[in-house]
This record gives sequence, C-alpha cells and structure tokens, in this order.
Amino acid sequence: MPTYADMTRCDGCGECVDICPSDIMHIDPVYRRSYNIEPNFCWECYSCVKYCPQQAIDVRGYADFAPLGHKVRVLREPEKGAVSWKIRYCDGRMKEFTFPIRTTPWGSIKAPQEYPEPDPEGLRSPLLAHEPEALHIATLPVLQVPKAA
Amino acid sequence: MKAYLVLMVLAVVAGTIFDIVHKRSGVYFSLRRQKARAAAQRSVGAGEALSLALATAAEAAVSGEFDKTPRRIAHLLTMYGFLAHAVTTVLMVFVHSTAAATPAWVSTLWSAGAWMVVIGGLWFFLFMRANVVHDGDAPWHVGRADLFVGSLIAAMAFALLWQFAQANYPGSTAAHTLFGMYLFFTTLLFVTVPWSKFAHMFFKPVVAYQRRIEEANGSSDLPRPSAQNFIVRN
Repeated sequence: MPTYADMTRCDGCGECVDICPSDIMHIDPVYRRSYNIEPNFCWECYSCVKYCPQQAIDVRGYADFAPLGHKVRVLREPEKGAVSWKIRYCDGRMKEFTFPIRTTPWGSIKAPQEYPEPDPEGLRSPLLAHEPEALHIATLPVLQVPKAA
Repeated sequence: MKAYLVLMVLAVVAGTIFDIVHKRSGVYFSLRRQKARAAAQRSVGAGEALSLALATAAEAAVSGEFDKTPRRIAHLLTMYGFLAHAVTTVLMVFVHSTAAATPAWVSTLWSAGAWMVVIGGLWFFLFMRANVVHDGDAPWHVGRADLFVGSLIAAMAFALLWQFAQANYPGSTAAHTLFGMYLFFTTLLFVTVPWSKFAHMFFKPVVAYQRRIEEANGSSDLPRPSAQNFIVRN
C-alpha cells in the first residue's frame, strides 16, 4: 500500500524526501508540501510514514482490495523508542499495535566516520572492526577444541 | 498612512475569507468537526476545552510544532519579528504621529523586529527551504510558495534600508525610492493572502486546537502514545 501526504498536516520540512529509499517523495513546487510522485514505485517501507514529525503521511490501499474507509496511522515516539500503529478497517474495526524500534537513546549511535580508523593490523585478527566493544561484551566467545586423548 | 493601514487590515480579512470559501477549507473543517463529534468516546467540558486552548496557545507561542531546532528558531525570529514590527508600526501611525513624539523603545522595537525577520527569514530562505535543501534547486530559486516569506523579507529589508537612508540622507531620492519599495512589498504581503501562506497564522492554531480536542475526546485517528518506554540502555 503506497503512501500519500496530507497537505494540511505537512509543513514542508522535507524529512520524507531525505529518507525515501525510492526517491519518490518530492516537494510540490507550488505549495511546498510533500507528495508521492509515483505510488507505483513505492517500496512500502513506510520510512516516511514513521519518520514524518507531523504524522502527515498516511497509507493508501489499492482500490481493488482495500475499498475506501480504512486508515493506517502511525505515531513515532523516539524518546520512548516506540512506534505505534492504529489501523481502521473498512468495516469500522480499530486495532492498535506498539512495537519497539530501538533500545538506545535517539542519536546515541555513532556514525562509522566518528569511530577511529581501524589499525591495518586488524586484518590479521578474526574480529571485525570495533569488536568486541561495539557488541557491548568483554570478549567474543572462543571455540574450545577438546584435546585428543 | 492611517488609511493605508486600515486598507491592509481589510485586505487580510477579505483575503482570508476568500481563501476559506474558495478552497472550501471552512466546509472541510466543519465536516471534520462533525466526524470527530460523532466518533467521540467522551465529552470535553468547558474547563478542559479552555485548558486545551491555553496549551495550544502556549505551543504556538514557542513554535512547539516544529521538530527541528534551527527551523523552530528561524520561525520564532520571523514570527516575533513580524509581530513586533507590525505592532510598533500601528503605534507609530495611530498613537505617536511624529518622530519626536515616538518613544525610543517603539522605534527600537520597530528596527529589532525588522532585523529579526530578515535574519530568521533569510536563514530559512537560503538554508532550510525544502526545494532548495532537499530537491537540489538553486538557493535563489523562487516559486509561488515563496510569496509570503519572500515579500516579508523584502518588506523588512527595505524598511531597514529606508530607515538608514532617512537617518543619513533625509528627503533624498534614495530615501523616497526605498520607502516606495517598502510600501510595495508590504502591500504585496497583505493583498496576496489567497495565494500565499499568510493565513497560516490563523488556520494553524485552529487546527492544532481541534487536534487536541480530538485527542482528548478519543476521536483522534492517531494511535495512543506508547505506555512503555523501550529505551533500556545508554
């Protein structure tokens, strides 16, 4: 189900344009509000739906199997690490779901370029870059091969 | 100037009413209120409605609806700059009719307001406009969506230039020309309400208040905030 922007809620910040992996969220040149330029090419990843700070982006079902009346709304709460969905079915039923999206505070994960450059000697090590500290463990488990009797 | 200011106020009122009727936003909003009332799970009392109105006003006063800090600061500068400039202009025209009778704080606030609009507006115009930042257009790209912010920045910039010319070269052709430009862009700002986003300052708080009412009476289509905090590690 591709996305569409509610222009009365959108404030034209452009976050959806940045996050869309398919590059189909654009800004209307007249009203400076976002819109999905090509719903057929929408991957339905819902990154824009979840990321929109104004909850201005909704999900539109294809007309052949989702008649008018349904609604999919989302509330992302980065301070709680949660994303909640409210689904209104065509027959009027409502369901709400909440999922964790992360367990660390928003903005606390360092970008790769913020880490020190790995030592070339690390190529001889079985560890990947920044292991084991990046995994929040002291050491990686080592396979213990029993000695032959 | 008194007649000019009254005309500009009338232009804003007429433009806003035309905007509401022409775009049918009034009908749409009324339908939304009816739907919300029908879907309400509980009624909101007068006291609660008043507190929601105050909360909406408090949010608007600090531009709390903006997610990003730079955008919020730019909006605050522009909003309070415009208000300061508009109020002091009215004071200068209707209360203190001569320069000698104008208190220093009024003229200072008039200039400060214009500077705030120019700084906040240009910050937004050059670095934060979605078409420029996100769609890769040139920074000087101008479209209909820029009618409000563009005419506002231009009006305030010419106000400051006119103030400088009037202080240093009073009665000169340059001073008259700059005053003419100030009036032109101010008129453009106020008479283009149906085509610009000028009326957002009236519509946005009303819609924000309605959204709070819908959250309070249970008719909001947004999910309820999560009861659980999943942030467990630092």
